[in-house]
Order: sequence, then C-alpha cells, then structure tokens
Amino acid sequence: MDGLIQLLYSVPVLGLLFQFVGYVIEIVPRIAPIILQNATPIALAALCGVMCERSGVVNIGIEGIMIAAAFVGWYVGVLVQPALGGDPSAFFGVTPALLVALGAALLAGMLISLLHAWLSITVRADQIISGTIINIAAFGLTGYLNTLISTTSPNGAGAFTRFRPPPEIADIPVVGWIAEMLLRQGPIAMSLIVIVIVFQVLLFRSRWGLRTRAVGEHPRAAETVGIDVIWVRYRNVVLAGALAALAGAYLSMEGTNSFQQGMTAGRGFIGLAAMIVGRWTPVGALGAALLFASARALGDSISFARPPGELGTLLGQLPGQFFDALPYLVTIIVLAGLIGRSIPPAADGQPYEREKAAA
Amino acid sequence: MRKQRWLGASAALVTLTLVLAACSSGASPSASAAGSSESAPASVPVTAHSDLKIGVVTDVGTANDKNFNEYTYVGTKQGAAAIGAAEPPVTVPKDSSEFASSIQAYVDDGYDIIVTAGFSLGVATTQAAHDNPDVWFIGVDQGPPCVNAEGLPDTTFACAGDAATLLPHFVALSYQEDQAGYLAGMAAASASKSGTIGAILGISLCGPCIRYTQGFKLGAESINPDIKLVVNWVTESDFVKAFNDPVSGKSYGDQFLQQNPDVDVLFQVAGKTGNGVLDAACEAGIYGIGVDVDQSLSYPNAAKCTITSAMKSLALAVSTDIGKIVDGSMKGGDDHWDASRDGIAYGPFHDLASAFPANMADLLDAAFAKMKAGTLVTCPEKCGDLSTLK
Repeated sequence: MDGLIQLLYSVPVLGLLFQFVGYVIEIVPRIAPIILQNATPIALAALCGVMCERSGVVNIGIEGIMIAAAFVGWYVGVLVQPALGGDPSAFFGVTPALLVALGAALLAGMLISLLHAWLSITVRADQIISGTIINIAAFGLTGYLNTLISTTSPNGAGAFTRFRPPPEIADIPVVGWIAEMLLRQGPIAMSLIVIVIVFQVLLFRSRWGLRTRAVGEHPRAAETVGIDVIWVRYRNVVLAGALAALAGAYLSMEGTNSFQQGMTAGRGFIGLAAMIVGRWTPVGALGAALLFASARALGDSISFARPPGELGTLLGQLPGQFFDALPYLVTIIVLAGLIGRSIPPAADGQPYEREKAAA
Repeated sequence: MRKQRWLGASAALVTLTLVLAACSSGASPSASAAGSSESAPASVPVTAHSDLKIGVVTDVGTANDKNFNEYTYVGTKQGAAAIGAAEPPVTVPKDSSEFASSIQAYVDDGYDIIVTAGFSLGVATTQAAHDNPDVWFIGVDQGPPCVNAEGLPDTTFACAGDAATLLPHFVALSYQEDQAGYLAGMAAASASKSGTIGAILGISLCGPCIRYTQGFKLGAESINPDIKLVVNWVTESDFVKAFNDPVSGKSYGDQFLQQNPDVDVLFQVAGKTGNGVLDAACEAGIYGIGVDVDQSLSYPNAAKCTITSAMKSLALAVSTDIGKIVDGSMKGGDDHWDASRDGIAYGPFHDLASAFPANMADLLDAAFAKMKAGTLVTCPEKCGDLSTLK
C-alpha cells in the first residue's frame, strides 16, 4: 500500500496532485471541527439569504443584521448577568443570562428584518438600498453605542462552551472524524446542521416550502391560487432575520465572548456568495460555506507546517498572500466553473403589487 | 397619493438612519470642547498656558478601550492638566476614511496640539503636519516618521526626507518593542513546563510585531537556552483579519494549538484579533501573554489565563511630550521610548503569580535595570526582519 502511494507521489506533475490529495486526507480530519466553526456564521448568513430570496426579497443587509445581533446579544448579557447570575451549567455552559441574551439577539435581528420587509414589501423601496441602509446604520449605531457602553470593559454573560465528545468517538474508523466534527461544537454550530436539514426538507417537501418558492418564482400565479404573497414574504423575511441574528450571536456569544466593532469582518457578504454558489438551496449553502472555511483552514495549516516532499517545496515558494486569497479564489473558481449556471428565483428582488380589483 | 406618503415616510426614515449613523463618528470636536471647558475643574491653577487647546483623535473603536485609545487619551489629559490647559476633547473616527477629517476639524477650530492614537493614523497625521506647520502633532506609535523630500507621507517607505527638519512640529512616538518582548519572553520561558512556547503575530508586515517577537525569543532563551519558540502570523495581507477580528483569532489560535500541542505559553501580538488568541489559550488550559497594555484589564475575558503583558508606557510618553512642547524643549521627528525612559514595562501578574518561580519579578526587574543601563541586547542584528523568526 505504502509502496503504491509512493509510486503515485513520484509521478511527474500529476504526483503533486496526488500528494495534495494525500495531504488533505491527512489534515482535514484533524481540523474538521475548526472548519465547521469557521463555516457556521457564513452558512447561517447564507441560509438567511436563501430564505429571503426564495421568497423574492433580496437582502444584502445580512452583515448589518449580524453585527446588530452580535452587539445586542453581548450587551444584554452584560446587563442581565449581574441580576440573573448563576454559574455556567455543564450543558454547553448555558446560564440564564446567556439564554436571555440569545433571545434578545434573535429579537433584534427579527426587528431589523421587519424594517427591511416593510421597506421592500410594503413601501416597495429599492431592496438594495434598503439593505445598504441597514448595513450602514447597524455599523454606525453599534459602533457608537459600543463607544458609550464599553467605558468599563464590562464582562459579557460568558459564552456557550463546546461539547467534548468522548475520545472513543474520534477513534471510530473512517467516520469518526465526521462525528467529531459535528459533536465537538457549541450549541449554535451544532444546531446549524439541524437547521440546514430541516430547512432543506421544508423548502422542497412541505406546503410552506412550495408556497415560498411559488412566491419567489411567480407571485402573480401564487396570488391567483389564493396564497397571500405579502404575508408569506413578510413572514419569511422576518424568520430569515433570526437566522442572520444567530450568525451574529455566534460571533459574540460562541466564537468569542466579547463584542468588537466591525467584528463581522465581511462574513455576511461571504454568506451571500455562499448562497449563490449553493444555488439557493440550504444544503448547497452549507457546502459552499464549508468549502470556503476549509480553504481558509487548509491555508493556515500549510503555514503552520508545510507538507513533506515536493508539494511542500512548491507551496513554500508561493507567496503568503496566495493563502490569504485562497478561500476567495476557490469561491470564484467554483462559481465560474464547477456548478454550472446559478439561476436566482425568477421574482427575486421584484416588489409585488396586488392587482387592483377590476375597475 | 397613498404611495407618495409611504415614500415620504421611508425617505424620512432613511435620512434619520443616516444621521444616526453619522453620529457614531463622535461628537464634533467643537461641541465637546465647549462642554469640557465649562467643566474644567476650578482648582487647576491658571498658568500662562491655560489657553492652549489640545485635542485627541483616536483609532477606530472606543475611547475607553483600556488599550491604545484610552491610554493615549489619559496621557493627553494628564499632560493638559499638568500645564493647566482645559480638559482635551476626544474624537473617535468611525473608520479610516474619517481619520483626516477628524484631525482637520481640530485644525479648523484653532487647536494648538493634536494627539493621534496609533500606527493606523500615521499617514493622516503626517499629511496634516505637513499642511499645518504651526500646529503641534503627537503621533502615538507612528515613529520613526517616513516622509519624502517634500515632507509628505511616503507610502512606498523609501523615507527620503528628514522628518525632523521638514516637519519640526510633528512628534512621532516609537517604542523599543523588543525590550518589552524580552521581558515577556523571560516570563514565558519561566512559566513553560514543556519547553515549547508560541507567538502569534497579526500580520507579517508589522514591524513592531516582529520586534516584539524577536525580543520575546531572546528573552525566553536567556531563561532556557533550549526553549523552542513556534511563530506564526494570522495573515500576510489582510489588516482587518490581522488586528480586528477576534473570531478569526480564536479559531486561528485553536488550530495553532491543535497542530502545536506542546505549546503551553502563547504570546499574542495581534491586537483585537489577538484577544481571540488569548481566548483560545484559556480554553486550551495554557497561559497567554498580552500585548501593548495590561491585557488582564483590557480583555478581562481572558484574565484567568493572562499571566503578564508586554507593555508600552503610552500615557507617560504623551503627557511628557505635551510638557516639553510647552516649555519649548520638544523637537520634531522620531521620539523614541525605551527602558531608559521607562517607555516599556511588563504587566502585573495579578492573580497568576503562582505560574512563575518566586523570584520572577526580581529577575524581570534586574533585566529591566540592565536595559536601562544599555547593557542588554534585546534584538538580533537584523532587528525588525521577519526572516530571523522563520
């Protein structure tokens, strides 16, 4: 076996590819939990995008919803922690304060989404402008309030901690690392998988999903069969806000336990790209987010320890900037080459106006 | 009709959000100046300099960040109080596009001394110093200044001009980071049981980060000649990821510790991204070392595992220089702060003194005394050159 691998590795040019595959197979299982953590906020943002756009509303304000939710969650935690107190429980380090903070973050995200829904559905404003306003206002307001509040560097309500699966799980042959990747997570990252599966099934196998897709593809037709287009859009956009808020809550309550101005660092926009790469499906969006996060983690891995052999020599000669750009390069290549045409829902971004009663 | 009313309402809403967003750039200097001069304590003796107007522009973030912004502001307040000037107002720009306009607002209001906090404001401050030769500028962490022959900021880093003569009223503070790093390295090697320690830099382009780490290495080797130091940097090109993304810092730190399981003391040289690195250290059950300021205070989340910090004396430098400007002894150009001027220090151990041998403070103080005397080498020959760490 080893002899065969060595033989494959020594093939000119193609051998490098084999070496790379060998390296990926060796390294990815070890860093898989970190990949899923990095992918979580991006995937949740993408799911928010999927839910909005499947119902025919473009939402580029995801980044703003995320930062606002991250801030609200963190700050509500600061406020209620002294009153509710309590030590972190063994269950994900949950405290009452942390749950209240998470609830507040979700509520904030849904409220901002409601604003976006009102502007883009009722007022029929330009949806890009509405999203842009949300981004600008959320960054400005959180920055301003953070300046006012953080005078004493208060401690937040802590953060959700990760589950530590028993070591036997990682030792299961072949699939052990996948179980480890799914289990060695905090509650938000773990629930991501559940959300993706439920969302995927509902979107393509339920009445809600059919109505959602109908409203996003051909609202006029949907209306004629008695679907309340306006209501479906409102409900979905507000629900989607909770997904983006969960992404924000991940940043300030699971990924770290602090708020930092501008800490979303473009993850909401990357999420939009993941939505497109994933062809507006929940599973596709998760896959795209995982791909992006893998590329980043792999780049970091190579910088920690260069793979052995010719591959290592080759990678060592590449400039470090290449590895910074790797996730974006992979996204572009996949978008341009591998997935075929990516077609948005037909009524995406078009405000719907009910037909007037016959005059 | 109905639709028009909605449009009007939404337009009003849009305007309101934009106004609110604009508020985040902080109160305008003139407004806060008026407020603070009223509240200036009456007990301050009125001297010949009490009419001097001093203002602060911080980096993005908050004025109370227990970090660069806060200690620059504190130093300015101390300096202003010492000369009997009104309490200085502070402007916190929302993002880098507001650096220049925030400085200009003070210039337009006739301020005499403008203090800017942090390396990021270097170009904007240099430009303002060039355009306003009568105003004094103090740029914290901006030395040595790099200007071209016209005295304009040189972003190619050729640095052909002599800033001290071209911009005689621009004081650019620099610090001997390798000395602070050296003390942190001694602490790290003393606290390490495995004999392997780590350092995570924000970006490979950051000279001060490299000097910190070079000193860190030498300091660690002075305690344990066989110590192994693993150095990595978060990115080669992305400044947000390098210094302002704690979530990335956390996962980067996780991955670093996963692939370097022997590391049991981790030095962060990555700003706010590094706060996430400290989180990763705490979670892995190892010790972390903070940077620039006492991070047990600036980042209390990680105080439980932050054993010390490599510190710059930010407030001292600013307040001293304001005094020197007033008494006429200040000169433009690079104003270097090292151990001999108490410009660097190590952070207090707080509750974690048990991590060290009992004589740790004595060892560090002895090394500091040698630095003061100039007899301790804290940086290799190629100081600031990343290749020495690879």
